[in-house]
Amino acid sequence: MTQLTLTSYEALARWPAHKPLPKGLDAVWASAQGHLQPFARRRNRFIREAASIIALEENFAKMSSAELASCQDSLRERFRRSRDVRTDLHRAFALVREVAWRERGEKPYLVQVAGALALEAGCVAEMATGEGKTLTATMPAVIAGWRGRGCHLITANDYLAQRDANAMAPIYEACAVTVAAVTTESDTAARRAAYRACVTYLTSKEAAGDHLRDRLALAGVCRLSDALARDLTGAPVATPIQRSLECAIVDEADAVLIDEAVTPLILSASAPNTEETHAYEQAATMARNFERTKHYIVDEAHREVRLTFDGFTLLDSLRRDQTAELSAVFSGARRAEEMLTQALTARELFLPGKQYVVQDNRPVIVDEFTGRLMPDREWRAGQHQAVQAKEDLPISAPKETLARISFQRFFRLYRKLSGMTGTAREGRREFWDIYRMPVVSIPTNKPVARTRRPAKLYVNAPSKRRQIIAAIQTAHERSQPILVGARSVRESDTLSKLLEDRHLPHSVLNAERHAEEASIIARAGAHACITIATNMAGRGTDIKLEDKSRAAGGLFVIATEMHEAARIDRQLFGRAGRQGDPGACQLFASLDDELIQRFGGPFMLLTKTFGEHPPRTLALFALRRAQRRAEKHARRLRKAVLRSDDWLDDSLAFSGRE
Amino acid sequence: MSVERPTFHESWNRVANLRPRLRSTTQITRANFRGEHWRIVQDSTGARFFRLNNSAYRFVGLLDGNRTVVEAWRLVNDQLGDDAPTQGEVIQLLGQLHTSNLLHADISPDTAAVFRRQRKRTQRELTQRLTNFFYVRIPLVDPNRFLDRWAWLVGWLFTPVGLALWCILLLVGAFHLIGAGQGLIEGAESALAPRNLWLLYVSYAVIKGVHELGHAFACKVFGKRDGDSGGEVHALGIMLLFFMPVPYADASNAWTLRSKWQRIVVGGAGIIVELAIASVAAVIWTRTASDSTLHALAYNAILIAGVSTLFFNGNPLLRYDGYFILSDLLEVPNLAQRSKEQLYYLVKKHIWRAPRLRESAHTPGERIWLPIYAVVSGVYRIFVSVAILFMLATRFLFVGAALAALSIVLWLIIPASKFFHYLATHSEIQRVRTRAVSSTLAFAIIILAAITLIPAPDRAKAEGVVEPARLAVIHAEVPGVLEEMEPTGYIIDSDSSALLRLKDPSLLARVDELRAAVREVEHLRRRAITTDPARALALASRANVLREQLARAETDAASLAINAPFHGVWIAPSSSEIVGKHFARGEVVGIVADLDQLIIRAAATQQIAARLSQAGKSVEVRTAANPGQTIQGAILKIAPAGEDILPSAALGYLGGGAIAVDPNDSTGRRAAQRFFEIRISLPPNTNLLPGQRVTVRFDTPNKPLLAQWTRAIRQLLQRTS
Repeated sequence: MTQLTLTSYEALARWPAHKPLPKGLDAVWASAQGHLQPFARRRNRFIREAASIIALEENFAKMSSAELASCQDSLRERFRRSRDVRTDLHRAFALVREVAWRERGEKPYLVQVAGALALEAGCVAEMATGEGKTLTATMPAVIAGWRGRGCHLITANDYLAQRDANAMAPIYEACAVTVAAVTTESDTAARRAAYRACVTYLTSKEAAGDHLRDRLALAGVCRLSDALARDLTGAPVATPIQRSLECAIVDEADAVLIDEAVTPLILSASAPNTEETHAYEQAATMARNFERTKHYIVDEAHREVRLTFDGFTLLDSLRRDQTAELSAVFSGARRAEEMLTQALTARELFLPGKQYVVQDNRPVIVDEFTGRLMPDREWRAGQHQAVQAKEDLPISAPKETLARISFQRFFRLYRKLSGMTGTAREGRREFWDIYRMPVVSIPTNKPVARTRRPAKLYVNAPSKRRQIIAAIQTAHERSQPILVGARSVRESDTLSKLLEDRHLPHSVLNAERHAEEASIIARAGAHACITIATNMAGRGTDIKLEDKSRAAGGLFVIATEMHEAARIDRQLFGRAGRQGDPGACQLFASLDDELIQRFGGPFMLLTKTFGEHPPRTLALFALRRAQRRAEKHARRLRKAVLRSDDWLDDSLAFSGRE
Repeated sequence: MSVERPTFHESWNRVANLRPRLRSTTQITRANFRGEHWRIVQDSTGARFFRLNNSAYRFVGLLDGNRTVVEAWRLVNDQLGDDAPTQGEVIQLLGQLHTSNLLHADISPDTAAVFRRQRKRTQRELTQRLTNFFYVRIPLVDPNRFLDRWAWLVGWLFTPVGLALWCILLLVGAFHLIGAGQGLIEGAESALAPRNLWLLYVSYAVIKGVHELGHAFACKVFGKRDGDSGGEVHALGIMLLFFMPVPYADASNAWTLRSKWQRIVVGGAGIIVELAIASVAAVIWTRTASDSTLHALAYNAILIAGVSTLFFNGNPLLRYDGYFILSDLLEVPNLAQRSKEQLYYLVKKHIWRAPRLRESAHTPGERIWLPIYAVVSGVYRIFVSVAILFMLATRFLFVGAALAALSIVLWLIIPASKFFHYLATHSEIQRVRTRAVSSTLAFAIIILAAITLIPAPDRAKAEGVVEPARLAVIHAEVPGVLEEMEPTGYIIDSDSSALLRLKDPSLLARVDELRAAVREVEHLRRRAITTDPARALALASRANVLREQLARAETDAASLAINAPFHGVWIAPSSSEIVGKHFARGEVVGIVADLDQLIIRAAATQQIAARLSQAGKSVEVRTAANPGQTIQGAILKIAPAGEDILPSAALGYLGGGAIAVDPNDSTGRRAAQRFFEIRISLPPNTNLLPGQRVTVRFDTPNKPLLAQWTRAIRQLLQRTS
């Protein structure tokens, strides 16, 4: 008598496997395909198809509810049995449109239907903010629900997951598709139920976390055959929470699949080790004796600290002199070097207000891309403890990793993956190389009325800030609402101080004040309102304009620095001029920005050669080049992580399948 | 963070709680390399090895199937401190052990991955086999049981007694060969004669077979001495060495032998056996009749087992016995691989300045030896391969061209693209990529510029024979017996004296007779003037006729003595041979040659003749006898059309020259391909001799190497098509 549940069967029979990246000529072929993607003209095809779907509108509009239901039954049956053809898809989309109209009073536009087709085809649909991505996703989600293997709709946060699930529930219910949301608060039973639903709204963290927990619980059982064998011997087999990873539609795909791609999701347990926590404090104390460039070199570009020969000598003598007091960790030269380097790295490269903020006596990581606080994230391999020691905070026990998966690896597990985002074009290569997703740019419903003002370039940050303030003042006098995007908490505070000096009323939205996020954003579109925000204002937020502001020229977005990916710049600029509103955006940059410091290469010398006024074109070129290099660097890094994971998979095959 | 060996690894959790152990069938043996202790782990079939250093072995030793990896790691860390393997190293170690099928883990493995890896391995082996088409190995049988059964029979040979016997045998062989050196060299020519080729090949195959058995038995015998089941030899087969099938045995198990001297003996066993065979063959060769088959066989055996073995198998630059012996002698396992790595390391470190590299060399000695070996063996291998490809291409156009194309892909395009890929993407040189790329580019540009722009000497050579510029063949103008003659080599420096004198008594008699007749007729005529004027008239005309006849006879008689037409050297057979010989009219007696004025008639192939239009007039002439001396000559005339008949047989193959001749032509002067005759004048008073074969180097303009190579290839295609 088997104890295996249906979920176990379903999950184990379709347990996802890692597909290694192609190598050799395969890789060449794959990347050639990637280069040819833009020529596939998917966009025009989808728009044509969408037009024909909209043409079906009349047929469905005439139907009564009962007729609609029976039509839907036959369609659903066909999708369930995988007997569907292209026209079935058209009819299904037209039906969902009709249902959306009847249930929610909104009808997906042509561009939304085109986006839905792109999603169904496994592409990344590039749709500008405010174009109704949530509604767009319902169409492919309903189809996936009908297919009966589940569909995960990945949202940016718990709030959105819950909100979207609730908002779209009428449509799904009318289509006989069950819908649920998983949030951090959900308990196991709720999770199980939610995953059993046809469509599940959840964050990437929850999806990957539950996958990891399942893997841990199954403890090495990763095939149906293993489970059946165990079952025969009477050994218990845990029932996984998730069904298989079949289909996912990722909102803000570039954030999840690119920016956060290599951030691993880690299930960990504390492994208290008092001696080691003591050692971190000692390392921090020791580090005070070391001087930059004399004892160690800081490599800003690669975020590394290396000891010099003098550094090693000093370390050795310190270890010799303090043998008695020092923890056993320092007895080995290698380990001691490691501890010290970590302490120095914490001092030089982990800066409060930039990489972390201190809250409630503990360092909280600031996400570099979103600017949001990541309270449950920790740096790896003792770096977190080193930062704690530097800040004289109580040192938490280092955590022991139980299971770990990076988001890029996790999302590659899905059999069918598609995404939506406002900015995908720049990540085209990566979407293709890693996820095999072509990017399709869907046009906006209304033409964009945003003007991009020419970038302003300065030699150093202070002169740049002066000009930014001047620009703010001018726009403020016109009563235009202004959004200033800062790259770090520090920068936002500096700007805020400068504005205060000029008695300009403004609000600051950064990682330290995230509690007020919603109210600040709600006011940001108001008449003559100045808002300084770290990158966090970029994603999933919609700044609605007052009528008065619209008359004043719409939202004026100022980027105070170039980001490491052109995508993020565009994301920020995308705040302005949504849904055909007027708006403007402008980039201010200086040649001592971090980006050019790290990736400028020979162009860093520009300032030295030209003094206060480097030629504009040259400076702009230097900045763009630095940005491209930064993007390339990051892309390579992410790919390298995936490759090394592939290697591990291959050579650690004895440790069971992940 | 930047430390050389970070303690922690982010994927540690994947192995931390496993309880693996080495497979129960693995065997561990100890070995010393360069004074370091290593353990060699091998599986029971002897097919897979893995070398562990001390700290890795300590760690692996702790894995007993009950401890988890993390427990074992903590224990090793407590014991060894800094030397303990880091988490990353442990992961790598476990991965490699697993890849070598030496590890057993407590949970069911990812079978798909295991199969994937197996597939990858066989694929790799296949590609290796295909890419190394000069050394294709085809395993045929597993000789292990055969060796087990018979090892006792030969075991005693690998003892000091065996060594002594071997030395004695070698001495005996050498003793027999001393003094027979001349015959040995002469025999080489006949050894390559077509009728011996089969015999030669059979001897080759047999001797190489015994050679391989030598390896196999040595491996087996020492393996058994080390441990009961050591010295496995599981493959005996055929290797296509430059497309010629020869036997081979896989004695790689010798690796596990503890003593390096034993490993060296296994590596050298083939050569040892062959030298013994050569010694026996030497005894047989000197004691058999020179026309018997046994004699020929013995000669072949000496050639193969003695000479070719030392130069071929003993050559450490090729991947043969010599290589393995050298590698054991230097205690550098994997010499070829590591020397290459060390060379790359040097480039990466000193030219590219890449950070955090691992050196392949462990000791100061290796630091010197490895790069030297890499460079020398690399250049040598390229040289040999290109030479063989060229030879093949000249003989068999299509096979040669196909192989050449294949080797260009395999040895040029694939490595180059791999290198580009490395340059573009490898993380190792991420920091210094700009520098690496620019220095590589600069290097490539310099090389490219050097071969496309800088003219290099581009010499064209031809062989020719020396001939006197003026040459007179002395014929007997009238028939006669040679009475006296100046000796050959006589320098003619005056016009007066005769060179030779013929004697023809009948001619002299006829002169006398005619004189008498003239007198008689004259006498009669005078008498008849008065008596019979009409008769006198008739007699007068008769006398005239007779006088004419006499004059002719007298001229003939005068030409019995022959003078030289010009000053020079008289060349004729020695007088003792021909004085007294009768010469018919027009028969050649000798030659007068003007040795102060010599010319060279050189035969240039079409390819070279075509280039002479650009060449200067002056040429350099060298002789084989005195290569240091050059004589400056000048081109007099280039024949406008090709010819078939060589100026001298000495220029053809049969006469020892360089020009292929028609094998059906018995004179050896009909060239297989048309050639162009070039006449070259020489300065006076050279020590060249007429008839001597010389090499002529034309003063062709210098050309960039690339132009020279393309021309060579083009001409190769022209010639063969």
